[in-house]
Amino acid sequence: MSRFQLTHSLALLPEGAAFLTDSSTLIVADVHLGKSAAFRAKGLPVPEGDSARDLGRLYDLAKKSDASHLVIAGDLFHSSTGITPELETALAGFISKIGIPVTLVAGNHDIKIPRLPADLRCVPLLDIAETLRVIHDPAHASGDRLHISGHWHPVVRIPDGKRTSLRLPCFLFRDNTLVLPAFGSFTGGAILDSNPDDRIFVALREQVVELPAALIF
Amino acid sequence: MSTERLQPFFAEKGWQPFDFQEETWNAYLTGKSGLLHAPTGLGKTLAVYLGPLAEKLPPTSGCQVLWLTPLRALAADTLRALREPLAVLAPGCEAEARTGDTPAALRARLRKKLPHTLVTTPESLSLMLTHADFSEKLSGLRCVIVDEWHELLGTKRGVQTELCLARLRSWFPAVRVWGLSATLGNLTEARHALLGSSFQDSVEVTADLHKTIVIETLIPREIERFPWAGHIGTRLANQVADEIEKANATLLFTNTRSQTEIWFQELLTLRPRWKDQIAMHHGSLDRAERDHAENGLRDGSLKCVVATSSLDLGVDFSPVDQVIQIGSPKGIARLLQRAGRSGHQPGSVSRIVCVPTHAFELVEFAAARDAALVRRIESRIPLEKPLDLLVQHLITCAIGSPFDPAAMRREVQSAHAFSSLTDLEWEWALGFISNGGSALAAYPHYQKARLENGCYTVDDKHLITRHRLSIGTISSDPAVSVRFANGHKLGTVEESFISKLKAGSLFVFAGRQLALIRFRDRIATVKPASRKGNGHVAIWGGNKMPLSSELSHAVALRLQGHGAASAEMLALEPILAIQRKWSRLPDDECLLVEHAHSREGEHLFLYPFAGHLVHEGLAALLAFRISRELGESIHTTQNDYGFSLTSKRGLILSEDHLRDYLSAEDLLDDLVACMNTAELARRQFREIARVSGLVLQTPPGQKDRSQRELQVSASLLYEVLDRYDPSNLLLSQSRREIMEKQLELTRLTAVIQRIESMKMHLVETENLTPMAFPLWADRLSATLPAGDAATRLEAMLRTLNQAAAQA
Repeated sequence: MSRFQLTHSLALLPEGAAFLTDSSTLIVADVHLGKSAAFRAKGLPVPEGDSARDLGRLYDLAKKSDASHLVIAGDLFHSSTGITPELETALAGFISKIGIPVTLVAGNHDIKIPRLPADLRCVPLLDIAETLRVIHDPAHASGDRLHISGHWHPVVRIPDGKRTSLRLPCFLFRDNTLVLPAFGSFTGGAILDSNPDDRIFVALREQVVELPAALIF
Repeated sequence: MSTERLQPFFAEKGWQPFDFQEETWNAYLTGKSGLLHAPTGLGKTLAVYLGPLAEKLPPTSGCQVLWLTPLRALAADTLRALREPLAVLAPGCEAEARTGDTPAALRARLRKKLPHTLVTTPESLSLMLTHADFSEKLSGLRCVIVDEWHELLGTKRGVQTELCLARLRSWFPAVRVWGLSATLGNLTEARHALLGSSFQDSVEVTADLHKTIVIETLIPREIERFPWAGHIGTRLANQVADEIEKANATLLFTNTRSQTEIWFQELLTLRPRWKDQIAMHHGSLDRAERDHAENGLRDGSLKCVVATSSLDLGVDFSPVDQVIQIGSPKGIARLLQRAGRSGHQPGSVSRIVCVPTHAFELVEFAAARDAALVRRIESRIPLEKPLDLLVQHLITCAIGSPFDPAAMRREVQSAHAFSSLTDLEWEWALGFISNGGSALAAYPHYQKARLENGCYTVDDKHLITRHRLSIGTISSDPAVSVRFANGHKLGTVEESFISKLKAGSLFVFAGRQLALIRFRDRIATVKPASRKGNGHVAIWGGNKMPLSSELSHAVALRLQGHGAASAEMLALEPILAIQRKWSRLPDDECLLVEHAHSREGEHLFLYPFAGHLVHEGLAALLAFRISRELGESIHTTQNDYGFSLTSKRGLILSEDHLRDYLSAEDLLDDLVACMNTAELARRQFREIARVSGLVLQTPPGQKDRSQRELQVSASLLYEVLDRYDPSNLLLSQSRREIMEKQLELTRLTAVIQRIESMKMHLVETENLTPMAFPLWADRLSATLPAGDAATRLEAMLRTLNQAAAQA
């Protein structure tokens, strides 16, 4: 695993997560657990598998990075129709097995859920240090600090040939706010309206690379 | 015979029935179904419609005749044509149309009571099947007429029609079905597809009306200076404008929407005074813009309309006395169909003027005339078992009334498209609508249709509403609406085009020079361009149609010297002479292969005459097989006549090697390996996901907040299904469809087999021959890059680094 050191204490992981080296905090965003179940509940036949897989990936990542705190920057869940008894059981198992505190910074999807399952500490925002805050929606960034957020599911389009392009989930760093790619495997993305001051990072095989502006513009 | 009952109508009109009309009425009156094959004109409408009116029956209320039309725009004209005889022969009976355009009030009235004759589309008919009382309302149904069946055949809408007809036949076994079709190479198969299990005992009626079709060509004055390649070719625009000047009203057909925009601008530049007398028509223009063009043609106020295939069909534009075809017609049926847009009245002459955009199209025009003369017309191959449509139809039926699976299977298999449905496919389809359809993958808490007393039913109100909104098979691309700041809509362009423009950029669309103000939320706000400038002409993706097998064969015959002397061949002779001198003329009885050297390395040119899609597949296949041995990267290009391979070294001209590379062995595996089929199938999946109800279609401009949580892209769904339920039959359908659509797999396989038994002519050439040059010149055209995303990105980063290092 090869990290990209964005600042001396903030690294980007190729799995689509941020890692704070000072506090060993692992941050992911937009997992959207139970999304396929929400589809099925509305009569759309999408097979199950994503939630269990995503929890598995998250567990592996926490172990591999030796994190002592897991923070989800919003939208751990997709909708209340997606929270099935199976998912509640799987999530409870995940939390007890992972053995580190798990904090959810509530996202717009999470706050619509009447009762959140399991032992989750749920907060509107999380100040990890005086100069570092975790939020869900980048629009809520305020003050002169570094923000880590999600919500946008950023995707970059890279023209490749005359009429073709690549579409890759990415990290976006803009105005001192880092926007994480969506972690969930059944989540779509929105193509960035990027501007020249943006820094954009994508996972390429086992490492994170910064995209030269020449590839995007 | 009771056709005497029709006398009053003919007496009033002062007409005599044609033989084919009497033949059709008599067949109908003896209880037969069938297919009527006739050129366009009023005669065929009366032939199929008056049968039901000639029948002596106790007066019943309710709908007796259903008229299916493929085009909403045709409904109004059809209605007018049907009401005339109805008023005379069955006074008091009504005819109405029910399509997507029908106003809500009329739609509500039609929900209560159906008229004697109902004109509708396949989609609207499907929709009506979801109403529980529909069969009751149709209890007097005697005849279903399917107009322009050749247009529906070979499409998913055609299969949707077949399934609807199967439903009607099972409700009313005595119902007679009549199709109307233009000339096709496979009329019997077309009739079989229409009638399904009731094909036995049906009849085919041919109207032997003599329709004279004149195919002419604008010959370029200096053939040596005329381009050998390309497809835009406004080189002859001046001559075209002269032709338009001479005629009353001209329909000018192009092959693509962009070409329509270009020709419209060109004509405006040449004849500015035509500003209000010419209009344009293509599928991406707003309805109002298209209505303007259609009405102008109908009432004769327009001098010329530049159009794409959007005007191929139907509507009767009597004032049109000239049709011009820009560029290759690609097929004989298409050329005849377009020619038939002029001289619409029975007995009059249809005239089409063909305009080449590059030199070799001259051969195509001469060849098309030969083939039209002997009526060697393309076939339309019916689709087989599109399962996405089957599951949509099953839900449609289950909403209407609970169905017994065994009876439903018999009904579905009575439709031609599903006659060979297997147990596995049927069980999967039932599963898909009830429990997900897979024994292995998990679909917990999913249910759409449920089993009750052995019958499948859907009773969830939300599901029903949503299904009704999504009935149909046409999946529109996510389009960007183009409008002025005051809200006036012009039409739609593709996001990939508009997103490349910046605010203030000029572009050409809907026949106007526009400047982009802003692009937001799938809406591009524009204003008329204030400064003169060369804006980009809007471009649309989508496949260029390949040259049909029939036309390719006719071209090959022409090149072998067959056919009467013609102006086209005479004009092209200087170029053909060069080809003969430097190499030889290709034909389709032996394969011509040319080998040449250039600064770029070595080139091989092969001319199988099989259309550009097949050539793209063959080129990729050969490049894959050769580079596997050679280790050199090989660049390919193709057109409708042949393809080329280019490599730094190692392309040897040896029959043994070529036969090896062109072998049918491992064909499918190699194609899958070289065509990036995974990526292509993922794209094809959008239509399938939509038709099968896996993704929801929100009409543009409408944002249903309750559905936002259910938005997902089809390619993401493809990945999820591929990962968790790889046996889902929709995935294999997607792969099959893309192989057919992208490289005409059936035709490609046939070509490979034909080549195996063909002689080869190998020629070493000093220079690029006239046939080879366009292929060489096209070497910059883009094809889908091979490799996965990571490989492609790595390649780009490497190139960038190398460039930086050299700078």
